[in-house]
Amino acid sequence: MLSDEEDEEEIDFFKQHSENEESIHDIMNSGEENDNFNNGTSGESDNDEYIAGDSLDDDDLDSRDYVEKVFDDVSSESENTQEHYVIGADGNPRKILPEIDPVYDSDSSTENPTNTVGNIPMEWYDDYPHIGYNIDGKKIMKPAKGDELDKFLENMEDPDSWISVKDNLTQQNVKLTNEELEIIHRIQMGSYPKQDYDPYEPTVEWFTSQTEVMPLNATPEPKRRFIPSKWEAKRIMKLVRAIRQGHIVPGKTQIQKPRFYNLWNDTDQPHEEHPMLIPAPKTKLPDHEESYNPPPEYLLTEKEKKMWEEMDPEDREKNFIPQKYSCLRAVPAYNRFIQERFDRCLDLYLAPRVRRNKLNIDPESLIPKLPNPKDLQPFPTSLTLSYDAHTGRVRCISIDPTGLWLISGSDDKTIRLWEMITGRCVKTWEIEDIVHSVAWCPIKEVCAFAFSCTNKVGIISPTCICEEEVAISTTQYVTAGFDNTQHNVEQKSKLVDWSKPTNQQNLNGILVIIQHVHDKTIKQIAWHKKGDYFSTTAPDAGNQGILIHHLTKHQTQQPFRKTRGIIQSAMFHPIKHLFFVATQRYVRIYNLMKQELTKTLQAGVKWISSLDIHPMGDNIIIGSYDKKLCWFDLDLSSKPYKTLRYLFVFFAIRNVTYHKRLPLFASCSDDGLIQIFHGMVYNDLLQNPLIVPVKILKDGHQVVNSLGVLDCEFHPTQPWIISSGADHTINLWT
Amino acid sequence: MGKLKQKGKAGAATNYINRNQALKKLQVSLADFRRLCILKGIYPREPKNKKKANKGSTAPTTFYYTKDIQYLAHEPVLQKFREHKIFLRKLTKALSKRELSIAKNLEKNRPVYKLDHILKERYPTFTDALRDLDDALCMLFLFSTFPATDKINSETVTNCQRLCAEFQHYIIKTKSLRKVFLSIKGIYYQAEVKGQIINWLAPYQFSQQVPDDVDFRVMLTFLEFYQTLLGFVNFKLYSDVNLVYPPKLDTSKDEGAAGLGALIIETTNSLATLSTSSHNNEDINNNNTIKEEMVRKLESEKRLKTLSKKLATIKDQGNTTSEIQPDTTKEPEVISNEEIIDEFTSSDSKYQQDVSSKTYTYSDIQNASIALTEFENLFSNCIFYLSREVPRYSLEFIIRTFGGQVGWDETCGVGSPFNESDDRITHHVIDRPTSGHRFLSRAYIQPQWVYDCVNARKLLKIEPYQPGKTLPPHLSPFVEHKEGDYIPEFEGDMEEKELRNEQEIKKDTSIEETIIPLITSDEPYNEDIIHQMELEAEATGISFSIYQEKQDQLAKNQKIQNTNNTKVQQPSIQTITGKKRAAKEIEEKEVKELAKIMMTKKQKTLYNKIQYGKKKRQEKVENLQQNRSTN
Repeated sequence: MLSDEEDEEEIDFFKQHSENEESIHDIMNSGEENDNFNNGTSGESDNDEYIAGDSLDDDDLDSRDYVEKVFDDVSSESENTQEHYVIGADGNPRKILPEIDPVYDSDSSTENPTNTVGNIPMEWYDDYPHIGYNIDGKKIMKPAKGDELDKFLENMEDPDSWISVKDNLTQQNVKLTNEELEIIHRIQMGSYPKQDYDPYEPTVEWFTSQTEVMPLNATPEPKRRFIPSKWEAKRIMKLVRAIRQGHIVPGKTQIQKPRFYNLWNDTDQPHEEHPMLIPAPKTKLPDHEESYNPPPEYLLTEKEKKMWEEMDPEDREKNFIPQKYSCLRAVPAYNRFIQERFDRCLDLYLAPRVRRNKLNIDPESLIPKLPNPKDLQPFPTSLTLSYDAHTGRVRCISIDPTGLWLISGSDDKTIRLWEMITGRCVKTWEIEDIVHSVAWCPIKEVCAFAFSCTNKVGIISPTCICEEEVAISTTQYVTAGFDNTQHNVEQKSKLVDWSKPTNQQNLNGILVIIQHVHDKTIKQIAWHKKGDYFSTTAPDAGNQGILIHHLTKHQTQQPFRKTRGIIQSAMFHPIKHLFFVATQRYVRIYNLMKQELTKTLQAGVKWISSLDIHPMGDNIIIGSYDKKLCWFDLDLSSKPYKTLRYLFVFFAIRNVTYHKRLPLFASCSDDGLIQIFHGMVYNDLLQNPLIVPVKILKDGHQVVNSLGVLDCEFHPTQPWIISSGADHTINLWT
Repeated sequence: MGKLKQKGKAGAATNYINRNQALKKLQVSLADFRRLCILKGIYPREPKNKKKANKGSTAPTTFYYTKDIQYLAHEPVLQKFREHKIFLRKLTKALSKRELSIAKNLEKNRPVYKLDHILKERYPTFTDALRDLDDALCMLFLFSTFPATDKINSETVTNCQRLCAEFQHYIIKTKSLRKVFLSIKGIYYQAEVKGQIINWLAPYQFSQQVPDDVDFRVMLTFLEFYQTLLGFVNFKLYSDVNLVYPPKLDTSKDEGAAGLGALIIETTNSLATLSTSSHNNEDINNNNTIKEEMVRKLESEKRLKTLSKKLATIKDQGNTTSEIQPDTTKEPEVISNEEIIDEFTSSDSKYQQDVSSKTYTYSDIQNASIALTEFENLFSNCIFYLSREVPRYSLEFIIRTFGGQVGWDETCGVGSPFNESDDRITHHVIDRPTSGHRFLSRAYIQPQWVYDCVNARKLLKIEPYQPGKTLPPHLSPFVEHKEGDYIPEFEGDMEEKELRNEQEIKKDTSIEETIIPLITSDEPYNEDIIHQMELEAEATGISFSIYQEKQDQLAKNQKIQNTNNTKVQQPSIQTITGKKRAAKEIEEKEVKELAKIMMTKKQKTLYNKIQYGKKKRQEKVENLQQNRSTN
């Protein structure tokens, strides 16, 4: 309170002071103004007076004490005032301004701010030790600033602290002058900051508000101002005519017609059904789960709820979560109601409409009607016999043309001879490497079979099972070529080497060993039906992949100078002079007599695994590693007549085979299954072959290292099938 | 040789037009085009081959049918849109020039468009209009609960409310409500008007929260059209049943939130007499119309009866049916009719058998009509009182539709015909766990009872619906159970089902007794006997599967009986036949699997698709069943 009073006193004092000053100044100003105003009329003489009587008024000169006072004042500045005026060239006094001393202090505008940063937010310098730069570009360091306690003490000690303000530019407190305080005070009071401002000054009429009698320009009024407008008349006539004719009825109150009336009559005819007119589908009616009190099984579990929330709104099957309320009173408003209506509106005018035919098919009708497998018997149905002696996977089997004996080649480097009916292992041959292929000679007079291991092919005659005459004739048949080869050693040594077996081997029944020049594995042996020729296939051997050997002459031919693709399998046609070569994608048929390509079959599979030719010679089947079996009818086209994709076979097909007599064929695959088909080929060319799947033989072979059944072959006369698997067993199915 | 066809001159390339092209052709703004499409009901199309329709490009585009757009070009409303644009330009010009008199004149002649002709175009017959009423009703019922905002003015809202109330009055008058369903989204109603099924969804009576991401320009354009549609439909409906349209509005009642009661429904005949007594006329009117209907029905029934009589006399049947009031004689009448029909069928049964699948017999029609009238007067003997926490508008509508009388708490609105202490009240609808004062003369029920009664088409027991009790589940009446669908059950249903099952079993056994020599229990079987029986059954014309089913059912029944009586060990046929059947099934399955190998790729994909759908449905059902068992 005390300080406040002081404050007021101070300010009061100050006011008086300033009033005095201002009043003086005012008087001077008004004098000036008056001078200026009257300038136009009496210029120079007044001016003279003014200048002469600037500091000394004529009236005041009389009063003595004032003179004295002035004199005291003047005495200090008397020399200055004396030197201020000089008589100019025109005879008038001229003011002489003081000399400017060219130091910095001379100009008052550059006195104060040494900081040159200008009017910027000073907080930019908060993080720096300086607050700006002086005129020389030197940093101005921040003045030392005490902590809060220091500040407080300073405040307490300094009596002027309450009228000081912090100057941002110098970061120092500046004491406010009395003038400034006065301005603040006046603003606080809500009055004009300047005391002498007069808001009610009399208006000065710069331009006269009275209308003058005389016009500014003297042009005469045009005629059109005095005659009625033609166009207006025309317009009025138009309106008059309209009123006369009743187009416009002035002052007519419009009678409201009833908004709704009977729009439809009983005689209305419906539009014809236009195919392009698609009425909007109706909204789906609610299910039980939309009820406010559904049966509890319709409520979502926590997991389902979470799933629903995580799904995109478009993917959700229903656009709400089923809820159960104990009573109708508890049911809240549905907050997506408007949204759903809006969506429906958008659907109605924005969604393209299409008429979709809903398929109303009994799925069972899609399954083709096939004759009952029972009517197509005989075919192998069950496992009868198992031949177990091998200790490695049995890669290949072959049945002799009489159907009594079976040989099998295995990974345990043995070839075994079995009696078909009893399952007795008659003989075992130890071979130096894995046996990849075995094949009986197809003629009954010769009791011999060929086998392949690595790049060797051998002919063995199992003497123990055949009569002596046959054995001798077989030996002659096979070894007769040695004389022949000796002549042509030079020529033929390029491809293979027909060599005699050692004595030890000879005792075992090995008659000839054909050593191939290339060192690639021979995967397949195929006999010509006459038993004189056979072909060997080595997929990796390039252009020597297929070789045809003439057994009786011990000669070897290379039928293709260049082979296209990796050769998978090769076979002779049972009747004609044709040779079938299956590469990865295609089956090529060559005519051996004309030595030309007759046909290329496109299977449309990724990788052909095996090939077999129907005994009639007009149809072939192909098995592929991509689970497909293709039947080609050579008379029809180069595309498959039928492609069978197994629904239940998930692994590659290893081998396919025809029955020699009966209309059967089979495929074996890596999942341990053997599929038996009825494949009837008719003599009538107009009738297409009939293919009916009849049986799947299961549970015979286990899957070992994702390999199941590796080879299968039908018995030459009976409806039996023999299969060999990766689980070291051979099975007979009857 | 014909002329060479140029590309892009015929077919899909000219039949379809994309939206920008359409805008260019019609020379309208997108907003106007949108409104025009909504009003005219023009929608985009999906061409069979997009590439051909879009000059070889496969970019996503909206296509319209070119003829639709050509047709739009001649639309009078389009002309009005253009006039409106010009009008606006003139008006703004006048206003900015401060030529107020001109502006006033312009305003007076503001171009107004009408939608009548569009309505007639889109719905050439009244049936077409009724068929498309679903969306209109949903929208209007929604907007009638809207708060008036800057986008939706209060006149629109009141108009919607009025139109809805008018329509509901018509439903009440003609008693054409069929199904109701309380869902979490709102209340679904299904009515049958002039043979057309109309469904609509009314939200619960809460103030709607208006979302921001909804374009109200679209909604309001639809609303404009729907308002016109429902107005005209109401006019036609009212005039068809000889009512005055528009009905007068009782403003005092309307201000008191009387809802449906605020409209004064008048018939065209009794208009003069009723106009004098304005206040109470509604109830009287109600009674009048009810009486009229009763009279009409009586007459029709009489006519039916006489017809049946005539038939009877023709057949020389000495069956005389006395003239008794229809309320009491419904059952004997039906019986007599059946007899007649029986006679009729016996005379030429062959013909009957051929046609029976298509034609309905006379008794069928009559039974249906009787059931319908019974259903329509479901609540005719009930007088309801609504407590203040129940949804009055919905319940009042339903109860009055089914011939009941209803009163309500005065806090719900004025116009209740009686108050809570009235003695005539039979049902008191309450939605609180307990009530303070209880009248012994009336039944206290929760509101769900009313809805369930309507869906069950009969008055249900009130015990499970008493206040404070856990309600039985409220099931949707719109679900039609197909074979393999999941059917929920609850206690109320169970009893009935048991009853029905027993009856069915009785029937079944009676049939079997006549045809198959019954296989009685406690007798050892061998397969020969069974086989022979099967053969016999086949000879009598029963297919094997049906025979098997019957045997199974029989075995089951016996099993149940046995367990009930004494637990006697018996070598049941079921196990033997089961084994045999299992083997056979496996074989059949195998054959099917084999046959599947021979399917073409196309067939296979289709088959797999169908199987996938089936599997999904089955999974759903299984899931529900599992849920039920865990619950």
